[in-house]
Amino acid sequence: MIGKVLGHCRILAKIGEGGMGVVYRAYDEVLHRDVALKVVNKDARLDPSSSQRLLHEARASSSLAHPNICTIHDVGENEGEFYIVMELVEGKSLAAMTATGGLAPESVLRYGIQIASALARAHDRGIIHRDLKTANIVITNEGLVKVLDFGLAKRARSGIFEGPTQSFATIENTSGISGTLPYMAPEILRGEPAGNRSDLWALGVVLYEAASGRLPFEGRTGFEISSAIMREIPNSLGPPVPPGLWSVIQRCLAKEPVQRYQRAGEVQAALEAVQSAAIVSPDSAAGSGPPRTTILHSVRHAQVRKGDFLLLVGTTKGAFILRSNAQRARWDVGGPYFHGHNVYSMAFDSRGGQHRIWASTQSYWGTLLRSSDDFGKSWTNPQQAPIRFPSDTGVSLKNIWQIALGRADEPGVLYCGVEPAALFETRDAGETWSLVRGLFDHPHRPRWMPGNGGLALHTIVLDPANSRRMYVAISAGGVYRTDDGGSTWTAQNQGIRAMFMPDKYPEFGQCVHKIALHPDRPDRLFLQNHWGLYRSDDCGEKWIDIANGVPSDFGFTVLMHPRNPDCVYIIPVESDEFRCACDGRLRVYRTRNGGASWEPLVRGLPQKRAYETVLRDAMTADSFDPVGIYFGTRSGQLFGSRDEGRTWQKILEGFPSVLCVRSAVVEDASGDLRPTLATDIPSPKHKTKPRSRSNTRRPGR
Amino acid sequence: MPITFHIPGALREFTAGLSRVEIEHPATTLAGALSALWTLYPGVRDRIATEQGQVREHINIFIGDENVRYTGGLASPVTAASEISIVPAVSGGAEDLCRAQSMRVIWGKNPSRKLAEPMRKVSACGHGIPCP
Repeated sequence: MIGKVLGHCRILAKIGEGGMGVVYRAYDEVLHRDVALKVVNKDARLDPSSSQRLLHEARASSSLAHPNICTIHDVGENEGEFYIVMELVEGKSLAAMTATGGLAPESVLRYGIQIASALARAHDRGIIHRDLKTANIVITNEGLVKVLDFGLAKRARSGIFEGPTQSFATIENTSGISGTLPYMAPEILRGEPAGNRSDLWALGVVLYEAASGRLPFEGRTGFEISSAIMREIPNSLGPPVPPGLWSVIQRCLAKEPVQRYQRAGEVQAALEAVQSAAIVSPDSAAGSGPPRTTILHSVRHAQVRKGDFLLLVGTTKGAFILRSNAQRARWDVGGPYFHGHNVYSMAFDSRGGQHRIWASTQSYWGTLLRSSDDFGKSWTNPQQAPIRFPSDTGVSLKNIWQIALGRADEPGVLYCGVEPAALFETRDAGETWSLVRGLFDHPHRPRWMPGNGGLALHTIVLDPANSRRMYVAISAGGVYRTDDGGSTWTAQNQGIRAMFMPDKYPEFGQCVHKIALHPDRPDRLFLQNHWGLYRSDDCGEKWIDIANGVPSDFGFTVLMHPRNPDCVYIIPVESDEFRCACDGRLRVYRTRNGGASWEPLVRGLPQKRAYETVLRDAMTADSFDPVGIYFGTRSGQLFGSRDEGRTWQKILEGFPSVLCVRSAVVEDASGDLRPTLATDIPSPKHKTKPRSRSNTRRPGR
Repeated sequence: MPITFHIPGALREFTAGLSRVEIEHPATTLAGALSALWTLYPGVRDRIATEQGQVREHINIFIGDENVRYTGGLASPVTAASEISIVPAVSGGAEDLCRAQSMRVIWGKNPSRKLAEPMRKVSACGHGIPCP
């Protein structure tokens, strides 16, 4: 090829080669300038789509006039040979510069800002790079960054180029995946289409490599690398990498795209902030700042495997994840997560094959909804609180008391019950939340009465037989039901006593502590009241007293047996003045006939000076056979029974006060995760071990 | 002279790890200065203020040595050289205090007499806070 003229460019020397093209140094004999000229090589020409890809590369890049993007001058075809004439960039690739170790943080910031700026321009034009890597980034002799090779770029909006493609130095594949493996985002490996945020992942890898001289996700084989990308947390970068830069890298490398920066411009701004802040605050370079709390290196994690059984424990000082197996005899403890924060509610979401743990956290710094897709190793920590009251309400969020999953066929739907009493809903898996106005604007709401602890919507129950029906319980407002998907709500409190009101049986205003429903009997609910134990057989229209023989009808929790709709567990406490186990004896009570009679379950539970309190969400069941029952106490003890309550064992003590306990069985923790959910709202009859309970039993609207 | 913010440890993950942030900004009130801070570091905002724009109940902000609760709140004047400290209030120990008291009672000599007192102070409806 040397000496050959393509168009008006004479080829002078070969300067590079990749899977798709050979790059030559050439001289433009019309415009009298040095250029780079990329020609489809003969091997690549065997691929009928390669020439189209080359043309696409040219079209994409030629629209990107940006100082940090290699300029495309011309494109042409000569005797069946496709070629691109582009700006000749002389310098050193970032890959070569980092081959012997990490660069100075100042250089990483300077280059990173320029790369992010280039991506921002491309993304603004609807173009995704899809193969950003240090080998595609050249630092000119003047220190200017040039991003090369938009060879995999895709016009995201116009859809000009939709076919599968491969890049040089890429993995071989036939699945339509494109890019270079160590830089590929998890969603690409899952077969999802590349998006802007996939480029931001690659930018995170590039920054990590530039700062440390090594890749964040390594392995001896493609499988090992893929596995690391999907699951591993990269080793943290300490000094001399400033914490701010490490924070930016971590956010780029969030496994879920929604947890990353949303725009390249944000990365650029963040890097600029680190750069400028480092100037005004030289102490930042000392690296003494805490690591970003979303990545918890200093916390012990439970190593979750296929078949494991999990207990999620929320306390007044953080959350814990307990891991066991079907025997439920030995327990590993992960945590504490969210040091010092109240964790009032947790949930495990397995819909759509995910394995997401949700937790609400409350502290001086406000209330947040957090999630983890890696069993606690990393948690979201959103910049902006995702659940917030609209400004016109004049109301501020104080706490999230309940996280409830929507139906299985709507995996993006979740609900949160909050304080002050209100219901929030998301339909996009938590990315955006909206206030359920039908309930918030209810004429009763101004007359709901906050007690000492505030005014909370703490329980959400979805009717499995009627996708438009849902119940909520409010202290102190009572039970409300919607039959139209949340637009309108009616109070359902007839027969429930409010002993603190002049009218003992008002339409609303009752202090309901918990309600529960079994999917096999969706018209029947059980209710633990602030004084009073009730059942309704008609969807809450009327309630009857079922406190038949319990030592106290005061208590907090009501737990349905997962498979027996007549079986309910409660833990009575002595009174509202003295909210401890009656007579200092910790007793669980069970009915197996819908509340006609109750039996104490005490074997293994302390029966002397056990002044314990079990709060409303601090009891749960598993899905095994026989069913396991678990509860935590305010004194920080966790008890469990593997035989449906007949005998009990103390699992752990020394926790902070337990606020909530939830359980889950993980069917597969490697690759395609298919966990099952076990919560206090069970599924209908199953006859497998463990009894998998999908969230079809947690229906939504 | 820039306005200087002293950032508590809990918020430094949102300020790129910085304990001190200096901003050149012409703000004349605390509200303006805070606005400049969370334009630069947006994650700080929801930790300091509610969605309605009020400083959170247990967060104190000092300009110099003066708590802004006594100098006009968000309207408190700032100057180009102001030093603004964000500090969580040390007032949240009731729960721990109660827990410690009840633990002592459990192991003490006369549990029946002492036990009721701390439990009345922090009762336990639902999730461990007084019953609504």
